[in-house]
Amino acid sequence: MAQIRILLADDHNILRDGLRLLLERHPGFVVVGEAADGRETLQLAHDERPDVVVMDIAMPSMNGIEATRRIVEKHPNIGVVILSMHHDESYIIRSLKAGARAYLLKDALKSELISAIHAVTEGRSFFSPKVSRILQEDYFQALGRKDADDSYELLTDREREILQLVAEGKTNKEVANTLNLSLYTVDTHRTHILQKLNLHSVPELILYAVRKGIIS
Amino acid sequence: MAGFGGLLLIMAAAESGALLFLANLRHNESALQARFLARNRTLERIRSNIYLSGTFVRDSLLAPEQSGALLQLNALQNLRRDTTAALASYASAIEPEEVTPFQNLRSQIEDYWKVLDHTFSWTTDERNKYRFAFFYEDLVPRRTSMLQIADRIEALNEDALRRGDSKLGDLFGRLQFGLLAMLAVTLLGGATLALFTILHILKLEAEVQQRLTESVRSQASLQELSARLVRAQEDERRALSRELHDEVAQAFSAVLLEAENLLDLDPAPKVRAHLDSIRGVAENGMNEIRNMALLLRPSMLDDFGLLPALEWQAREIAKRTGLRVQVASVLSGELPEEHKTCVYRLVQEALNNCARHAQASAVEVSVRSEAGQILVTVEDDGSGFDPQRVRGLGLLGMEERARHLGGTFHIDSKPGRGTLLSVTLPRRDVAAREPEPATEMLWNGVPHGANSHTTG
Repeated sequence: MAQIRILLADDHNILRDGLRLLLERHPGFVVVGEAADGRETLQLAHDERPDVVVMDIAMPSMNGIEATRRIVEKHPNIGVVILSMHHDESYIIRSLKAGARAYLLKDALKSELISAIHAVTEGRSFFSPKVSRILQEDYFQALGRKDADDSYELLTDREREILQLVAEGKTNKEVANTLNLSLYTVDTHRTHILQKLNLHSVPELILYAVRKGIIS
Repeated sequence: MAGFGGLLLIMAAAESGALLFLANLRHNESALQARFLARNRTLERIRSNIYLSGTFVRDSLLAPEQSGALLQLNALQNLRRDTTAALASYASAIEPEEVTPFQNLRSQIEDYWKVLDHTFSWTTDERNKYRFAFFYEDLVPRRTSMLQIADRIEALNEDALRRGDSKLGDLFGRLQFGLLAMLAVTLLGGATLALFTILHILKLEAEVQQRLTESVRSQASLQELSARLVRAQEDERRALSRELHDEVAQAFSAVLLEAENLLDLDPAPKVRAHLDSIRGVAENGMNEIRNMALLLRPSMLDDFGLLPALEWQAREIAKRTGLRVQVASVLSGELPEEHKTCVYRLVQEALNNCARHAQASAVEVSVRSEAGQILVTVEDDGSGFDPQRVRGLGLLGMEERARHLGGTFHIDSKPGRGTLLSVTLPRRDVAAREPEPATEMLWNGVPHGANSHTTG
């Protein structure tokens, strides 16, 4: 199995050193570069084409969210794991909307970090339990407040199945293969799901799934 | 004041001086006239005595009897005495020009009396013999000469009157000149005084204006100072918050990582227990620091803008107190830094008040821009209060913040009826602001569209 090539982006040297040590001790991981700010991260991502970028948010010259947006835009195959001190939903949501597939807090366990890296290389999302809890708490608080009818009830069983698979990071083709459906049918279902839930993109769909506890 | 007093004194002195002078003049004039009349009368007496004396002499010369002549002689003696007295009285107040003719007159009169005396010693025959010749050749020419002298004296007397008159005229002219001079002096003094007064008033006015300007300026600088204090406090909070979040908390996360790395080395169970303890301490420390940083100044305010920061604040209050907080915002474009901070701090303070004092169960926060203004309202369903009587430091601080940005601050509340706090800020274009100090803006220019979020 090929090694997973990792780029570290954090403006604190000591943290990068610790991370490199932690990750390189894990079989199958190799750290191909370290960047101390957003622009350097963009450059290294372009030069090294890593499989995964472990990204801090607060960085000089360009923050991690903007760097994520630009990297994912240019290289959709690079998975971004956000490893941040910020534990407010505004940062989590904006990171996901920028294209990050995993969000961890900086007190994450080693096991969580390894799981996140594996998940994003497989095209899946990953949120540490703390992050999931933050997102769900806010969502349910909002639901309780507004008495909004739960649009999840509008989905058919098939649509719920497809929602989970898409949220887990599967492509349309993978979904089609898994469920033995045609690509066209899966595409139609996806459109219906987004319409019914009033969502506009896959990141929003993932966020929804996390909040609903469909994935974690 | 002294100038005015002086001027009035000068005027009064001039007035009374002129009055005195006029009275004096009038007195002089009547004295002059009285003297003229008295002398004229005396002269007239002398003249008539001389006439009468001629008549008596003629009668005595014509009288056939010695006794009749004696009778005339008696009357003549009386005339002579009276004339001598009149001459003496005239001589007592004689004008220098009259001295020569008067002495002439006097000596002629003396001679005349002597000649007359002589006639009385005549016998009847002598009288009959000389009387005509004496009368016409001696007495009449003498009398005529004397009367001429008296006329000259009278003319001189009239001259004296005229001279007196012209002297009075001179005096009057001097008075006139004096009054004119006084008028000129008074006018000049008045004008000078008026000039000084005007200058003084102008100076006073300038001083008052200056003091007013100074007071306005000092008030403005006081406000500016307090605004700067608020800004400095905010800057410091921002710096502290960032430092805590980006440095101190990161140090804790580095400790966490190192602990992980050590755990990776599969240490002895005793060491593992210590490492777990270190992990726990570091994790707690990190969370504490993170919360502290957010309380000082939420990073979302700088990273994402006002609404995410307000929503975070609402969630925090909700988590802490169970208060239901709804935030509704309709803002187009990014607000200037100062406005963002101002609105955030106002809402923060208002929410804290709701949580602490109001015993409210729900709060609605609304921020919207309307016609060049930013309207902020915070409405709770709590116990309310009387804004006329309760005016804590918190409310004063809020009002001050709003005023710094040229805004208004209003509280509508009654005991038992909840509280509505409304703030209006004039909106400034964000482009007009000086560039922000280098900060890590996470989300430059995120448009805050119609957005609503609720927590509680």
